[in-house]
Amino acid sequence: MTITLPEGDLQSRLERYFEGLGNRHGLEESEIINNVVLIVAKKDDVPAVLATARETLGILHLSFITIVDREGSFELTYELMDFRGATVRVKTTIEGDEPVIGTVTGVYPTANWHEREAYDMFGVAFAGHPDLRRPYMWQDHFDHHPLLKSFEISTKRTFEGLR
Amino acid sequence: MLGEERRAQHEGALTEPPSSRLVSPDIRDEFGLETIDMNMGPQHPAMHGLLRLILELDGETVVRCDPVMGYLHRCQEKIAENRMYPAVIPLTDRLDYFANMHNEHGYCLAVEDLLDVEIPPRAEYIRVLMCELMRLASHIPSIGFLMLELGAFTPILYAFRERERIQAIFEEVTGARMMFHYIRIGGVKADLPPGITQKIWDYIESLEAHFQRDFVDLIQGNEIFISRTRNVGKMTQEQAVEMGVTGPALRCTGVDFDIRLDYPYSAYPELQFEVVTDTAGDVEASYRVRIAECLQSIQIIKQCLEQMPEGEVMGDTGRRIRPPEGEGFGRVESPRGEYSVHVVSDGSDTPYRVHYRDPSFCNMQLLQEIVPGHYLPDIMPIMGLVDPVSGGWDK
Amino acid sequence: MQTVLNLLEVEPIRLLISFGAVLFLVLNLAAVLTMAERKVSGYIHLRYGPNRVGPRGLLQPAADVFKLFTKENVSPGRSDLWVFLGAPIAMFIPAALVWLVVPFAPDAVVADLNVAILFFVAITSIGALGVVMAGYGSRSAFSLLGALRGAAQMISYEVPLILSLLGVVMLSGSLSLVDIVRAQGDTIWSWYFLFQLPMFLTFYISGIAEVKRVPFDLPEGESEIVGGFMIEYSGMTWALIQAAEFASMAVMSAITVTLFLGGWQPPLPFLDLGAFNWVWFGIKTALIMFTFQWIRWSVPRLRMDQLMDLGWKVLVPLTLIWLFVTAGLMLVFPSLGA
Repeated sequence: MTITLPEGDLQSRLERYFEGLGNRHGLEESEIINNVVLIVAKKDDVPAVLATARETLGILHLSFITIVDREGSFELTYELMDFRGATVRVKTTIEGDEPVIGTVTGVYPTANWHEREAYDMFGVAFAGHPDLRRPYMWQDHFDHHPLLKSFEISTKRTFEGLR
Repeated sequence: MLGEERRAQHEGALTEPPSSRLVSPDIRDEFGLETIDMNMGPQHPAMHGLLRLILELDGETVVRCDPVMGYLHRCQEKIAENRMYPAVIPLTDRLDYFANMHNEHGYCLAVEDLLDVEIPPRAEYIRVLMCELMRLASHIPSIGFLMLELGAFTPILYAFRERERIQAIFEEVTGARMMFHYIRIGGVKADLPPGITQKIWDYIESLEAHFQRDFVDLIQGNEIFISRTRNVGKMTQEQAVEMGVTGPALRCTGVDFDIRLDYPYSAYPELQFEVVTDTAGDVEASYRVRIAECLQSIQIIKQCLEQMPEGEVMGDTGRRIRPPEGEGFGRVESPRGEYSVHVVSDGSDTPYRVHYRDPSFCNMQLLQEIVPGHYLPDIMPIMGLVDPVSGGWDK
Repeated sequence: MQTVLNLLEVEPIRLLISFGAVLFLVLNLAAVLTMAERKVSGYIHLRYGPNRVGPRGLLQPAADVFKLFTKENVSPGRSDLWVFLGAPIAMFIPAALVWLVVPFAPDAVVADLNVAILFFVAITSIGALGVVMAGYGSRSAFSLLGALRGAAQMISYEVPLILSLLGVVMLSGSLSLVDIVRAQGDTIWSWYFLFQLPMFLTFYISGIAEVKRVPFDLPEGESEIVGGFMIEYSGMTWALIQAAEFASMAVMSAITVTLFLGGWQPPLPFLDLGAFNWVWFGIKTALIMFTFQWIRWSVPRLRMDQLMDLGWKVLVPLTLIWLFVTAGLMLVFPSLGA
C-alpha cells in the first residue's frame, strides 16, 4: 500500500492546513510563523484536532510530543509534519497536578511510545492508551516521575553564583 | 536504485513471506502446544547496546516481541535543565554516539532558533562537512553490524577500519575521536586546521576507489546474504509511516522523505544530491539504501570541499548565551532518521526544558510490529534494518 | 631393542600404542588449529592474529591451554550434572575414534578395517548425541534451542554425506579406506574428485554441516543464541567441546582427502616420497582445513529452514542423480571400476 505525499506549493498548503483546522474546531489561537502552523487548542479537543489533521488534511507524520512542566500546569506540544516542508504545531495546556488527556494512538500509532515516555517522565496519564507502561524507569517500587520540577537531583545549579 | 538487474536475477530466493509460518491459536489449543517465553537479555553480544527483548516463541517462530529499554537511561533531559546552554552540548554528544555531530547540530539549531543569530557561511559548510563525514562513519559500521549479526565476521572489521580513518580526521579537526564538542551555538569551535582539506580529499578518493570492492562486492550478490535478508522485515509504506519511522528505514519502503531536502537547514540548499529510495521495504533494501547514501555523502563532501567559502566560523552570540523566553526547534537528518530538539527557555542561563526526539527511540516501535511471524534468527537482520543505537533510544 | 620392536608387532600392544600416538596427534592438532584459526582469520581481516606469545605467536595454544586448565568449571544451578558433564566427553569420543581408520600412509593405519567406511559413518552419527546432551543438560532456553537445531542439522546432513560416499564405493569396489586410496590412480586427474565432482562438493558441504561451522553454525549461533548448546560451559569442559569440534573438522578433512583426493598419493608420480608419503596426506588435509577456515570467515550463516532446504532439496537429489550417472557410466565403460 503506497502513500501519497502532498504536492503543491508550500504556502498554499500551509494556508489550507490553517483554514482546515481553524474551520472545524473552536481553537483559541492559531497563526502561521515561517512554515509552521501554530494551533492552540483546549485539552479535550486535541484528539479531534489531530484526527482532522490526519484524515482530512493528510498530515501523516507525528514527530514528537513534548511536555513542559510549568509548575501548576502542563503544556503539551504535538508536532506534526507533512513530509514536504510544512509543520503543524498543536499546543495545549492541562491545569492541575493530576494531568489526564485523551490519547491520540488511534490516530497516529507512533504516539504510543511518545505517550509512554511522557507518562514515565511526567506522570501525564493518557486515557485510552493501549499499553501505558514506563519505558525507562522501573515498573514497580518507583512512584516518582523524574522530569517534574519537584523531583530534585543532587547536582542542582552548580554554576549559580559563579559569575 | 542500485542493483535492479541483480535483484531481478535473484527473484524467488529461498524465503517465503513470514505470515504463513504462524501456527493458528486453534491448532495450538487442539494439540496442546505451548509457547516458550524467552529473554534475549540486556547482556547479549549482538543487541546494538543494552536492549532486552521479551520474546514469546512458538518453536522458532516469534509470536510476540516486546522491547524493554532503560538500561542506559541517563536522564539527560533533566541534567540539561541544570547546565548552561553551551554546557549541554557535550551531553548531546553522548546521546546517539554514532552520530555525535548530528546531535550537536540539532541542539545548536534549536538554540540558534531561540537566539536568532546569524551563522557565517563558512561555519555552515564546516558543519555540513562534519555531518556528512559522520554519516559515513555511521552507515559503514551499521552495514558491518548487519553482517556481523548474520554471521559474517569480516565486513565489520573492514568497516571499522574506515571508521578509524574518519575518526583520525575528526581528531585532527576537533581534538577528539568520538565525543567532539565541536559544533557550538553560533558556529563551530575553531576553523579547520591547515592541510586538512587535502587529507579529507585524499581519504574520500581512496574510499570511493575501494568502497565497491569492500562493501558491495563481498555482500550484495552473496546468495546466503540475499536469502537471509530478502523479504525479511518487509514493511509497507503505510506501516512505516504509521509507526513514525524515518530515515533509511522509511526510505527503503519508497517514501522519499529526507529532512535535508524537505525541511532544509544549514548549507544543504546550496548542495546537489539525491534522495535514495528502494521499493522493497525489507532488510536487503535498507542495506542498499545505506550503501547509496554513503555514495551520496561522498559527493556532498566533495562539493563542500570545493565550495567552502572563506570567513569566520563563529557568529556573534554575545559573551553569555541567555536567550529570551520562548521555544526553539531544531531538526536534522541523522543517519538513523529525523532527530529533533525542542528547547524551552525561561530567560535564564539554563534551559527550562530540553526534549530530544531521537530516531532510534521512534524506529524501535517497528520491532513490536514487524517481528512477530518471523523466525528467531530473523530478529537480528530486522534490527539491522532499524539500526538503533542504545544511547539514542535510552537518552 | 629388538624385543621392544617385536613387542610392537603383538596385536593389542600395537593397537594401543598406535592409537595413543594418534590421540596425542589429534589433541595437539586441536590446539594448533585454534591458533591456525586465529591467524588465518586475522590475515583475512587485514590484521595480525595473536603475535605476542612466542615467536610470531606460535606459543599461543600453550598459553590458552594453561589458562583453560586454571579456569573454574561453572555449571548452572539446576542443570542435570551427569548429562551436563558427560556431554563434552560424548562429543569428543566419536571425533577421536574415527582416527582409528584414517590411512596416513600405505601401512600406517591404526586399524585397517575392511568396513572402514561403515565404521566412519556409524561413529560420526553418534556426534549428534553429544550435542543434545549438552543442550538438554544445561537446562536453559538458549541451549535447548541450540541443541534442537544441532540435532536436526546433524541428522539431516548425514543423508547427503552417506549418499555421496556411495559413488566412491562403487568405483573402488570396496569399503576399506586403504583400498579406496589405492584404487585412485597415481595422478591428480585420476583421483575421484574430478569424476565425482558433485559428490565431492556434497561431501565437503555436508562435512562443514556436520562439524557445525559457518555457514552452518546455527546450533552455535553466536549472534542470537550466543553459544547455543555450549552456552553454559566454561573452562576445561568448554575446551573439550572446542577440541571435539576441531578434531572432527580435522577428521572430516582427512576423510575427504582419503576418499576424493588420493589419500597419501602424490599428485604426479615423480613426486613420490616413498616412506614419507604421509607428508602428502598432511599437506592435502591441511589444505582442506584451510578452506574450511577460509569459508568460515567469508560468508554469513544460513537460517534453519534454509539450511534444511539446502540439505534435503538440493544435496540429496544431486547425489542420487549422480549415483545413477556413475552407475550408468560404469556399465558403459567397464574399465572405470576397479
